[in-house]
Amino acid sequence: MTLAVVGVSHHTAPVEARERFAFGHAEAVRALGRLREEAGLHEAVLVSTCNRTELYFHPAADPAALEAGAAVLRNKAEGIEGSADRFLYQKQGLDSVRHLYCVSAGLDSMVLGEAEIQGQVKIAYELATRVPVAPPMAGPVLSRLFQTALSVGGRVRSETTIGQGAASVASVAVELAGKIFGSLKSRRALVVGAGANAELVAEALTRRGALSVLVANRTHERAVALAGRLEGTAIPYQDVPSRLDDVDILVTSTAAPHAVITLEAVRGALPQARGRPLLIMDLSIPRDVEPAIGSEPNVFLYNVDDLREIVDDALDRRKAVFPVAERIIEDEVEAFRRWYAGRQVVPLIRSLRGRWDGVRDQELQWLWQRLGHLSPEDREMVERFSERLLGKLLHEPTVRLREGAENGRVADFVDAVRYLHDLDVAVPGLASDEDEEPAESVPESLTESDET
Amino acid sequence: MIHYVALLLYISALILWVRSFLEGGRGRMAALAFGVAAAGVTAHTVALARFTVINNELPLVGLAPSLSTMALIIGVGLLATIGLGEVRRVGIVLIPVVILMEGTAVVLGVQPTEGVLDFQGAWFALHVTLAFAGYSGMTVAFSASLLYLLQFNTLKAKRLGPAFRFLPPLATLDRLGRIGLVAGLITLTLGLAIGWAWTVRFRHSFQQTDPAVIWGVLTWAVFVGVLMVRGRGGEYERRGALATVVGFTVVVAAYVVLRLAASTGGFFLR
Repeated sequence: MTLAVVGVSHHTAPVEARERFAFGHAEAVRALGRLREEAGLHEAVLVSTCNRTELYFHPAADPAALEAGAAVLRNKAEGIEGSADRFLYQKQGLDSVRHLYCVSAGLDSMVLGEAEIQGQVKIAYELATRVPVAPPMAGPVLSRLFQTALSVGGRVRSETTIGQGAASVASVAVELAGKIFGSLKSRRALVVGAGANAELVAEALTRRGALSVLVANRTHERAVALAGRLEGTAIPYQDVPSRLDDVDILVTSTAAPHAVITLEAVRGALPQARGRPLLIMDLSIPRDVEPAIGSEPNVFLYNVDDLREIVDDALDRRKAVFPVAERIIEDEVEAFRRWYAGRQVVPLIRSLRGRWDGVRDQELQWLWQRLGHLSPEDREMVERFSERLLGKLLHEPTVRLREGAENGRVADFVDAVRYLHDLDVAVPGLASDEDEEPAESVPESLTESDET
Repeated sequence: MIHYVALLLYISALILWVRSFLEGGRGRMAALAFGVAAAGVTAHTVALARFTVINNELPLVGLAPSLSTMALIIGVGLLATIGLGEVRRVGIVLIPVVILMEGTAVVLGVQPTEGVLDFQGAWFALHVTLAFAGYSGMTVAFSASLLYLLQFNTLKAKRLGPAFRFLPPLATLDRLGRIGLVAGLITLTLGLAIGWAWTVRFRHSFQQTDPAVIWGVLTWAVFVGVLMVRGRGGEYERRGALATVVGFTVVVAAYVVLRLAASTGGFFLR
């Protein structure tokens, strides 16, 4: 199988390196166009996300093609400290198919089972179809590969629990907020401290539509900076207790050595009969929020250990279904292998069909000379009869040839078919044939009986 | 026969809902459960329509017909949540109530009553239907409140398992509980008012000791009490949910007590 992938991912490169390899949408389309013009690659698709940049291409039988693929990534990361090659990996044949299936299913993601990657794979494929070249960069092989990858991703997610449960602190925060408040559109959040975790959580809440975010930090400038990034409002640090009753979600992440939100402060700030829930997420160590606050009515307090436990639980559950997901992927890789192998005999099938179509034409001419009195309707009937007969005669050999190819027995059949039918056609991938021209997909019309 | 089909479909829906619950609401099991419940409601409607045509009488009088009708109204209430996503999952509480009522009706036999009521006709039908709708509103509110308390405890205890994933958000359940109570109070009030007006107009007296009257007024008082506990803007969510569950229990308990006490006479869901 002359299919390959060359790429860089979170497994091989830190974020500082990965960002050098990343392609924007327009850049990806241009790079694919150049690959066709300069390297003559038939098919290529470029997947670029924050965690990976991978170029899938076909055919990739010779080292020059592999080098051309690697050069695309290497050129993008031009100027990177040291050699770009140390971050690159390469997979060929079925390994590249398996790899894309794993990527699409989220098995190769930094957060196991995350669903976003599937959309990104789809976008990558769509970008390849937009490259203004003919034939298209997303040709028959890569189209099949990416379409099956998307369906494999869907299958793994629907048949396993790989995507179930929040698998990062930020997604747990969003899930919790969603289960308490439903829509976050009219909800207000207060972020105390400008730590990275708090920012991630606040960002996730904002993406889910939280109405407003207030930010407080001991260093007010940092609060202003974070509020700017979140499109929120910075408030003075000492105002935090008095604002508690205004908010629905409180996220704390300070570096204070003691609790900054005390039970006394909460009791003083919240009306005795506050009926609305308050979700508090304490992401600090040591903790910012006194644990006793969790016992207050309508207060849901989660500290960093609670959140981590939820994440670990979800990840454990996801890992537990890994073997099932892998089995699904192996099934699909095998299906792809069979499809790909079946393509080998397409030129032979075309030739066989062409050969006997020619004979049919000749015989029809012979018949028309002798049956000149036939009406056009009768002629059409005879012509259709000849087509149907030929279709039925060739149906079984066509199916058997394809099955033989799918089962790795091309050599057993090809020579016999060529000899018996007097055909002169090369079959790519066959040791006895030197020509390695890429074959096209098997048209359904060549494998199905011409029943009408 | 059709009642049995409806009952079977309701039981199937419940099994699917329980499975969906155990799986944390993933997949299409909950949607399938809702579809099967909808089929049950359809069969149930056909059964009661047939009863009406054959007996030339609405299934509003007698214990079995009235229980069956009330079960149907609750089922219809569930179907009203069709476009509300996760809200449909209140079916996991509503459907057992429907099964209990329809099952009891089937066991007793959904037959026309032999007694003759002096309060009949369109006003009677409206009175009973509105009152039943009021009780159905209470049942919907009870279901939502029960699930609210379950989700609340799950969140407090930090047990984010299948129940957490299956159950709708607290805010959604609270809203549904409030809608059930408000709609139920309005319809029950109208139903009671019609019954009272008819009695005063035609019977010139009002039997305050009639168990049906006592139950109706008690339920009305429970509605008002629960809504007061929830606060003017419905801000006391958990307290309101707790009050709704207690209120529903009181209404059901009152029904049982009154039924046992009403040894003879009257048509109190006889």
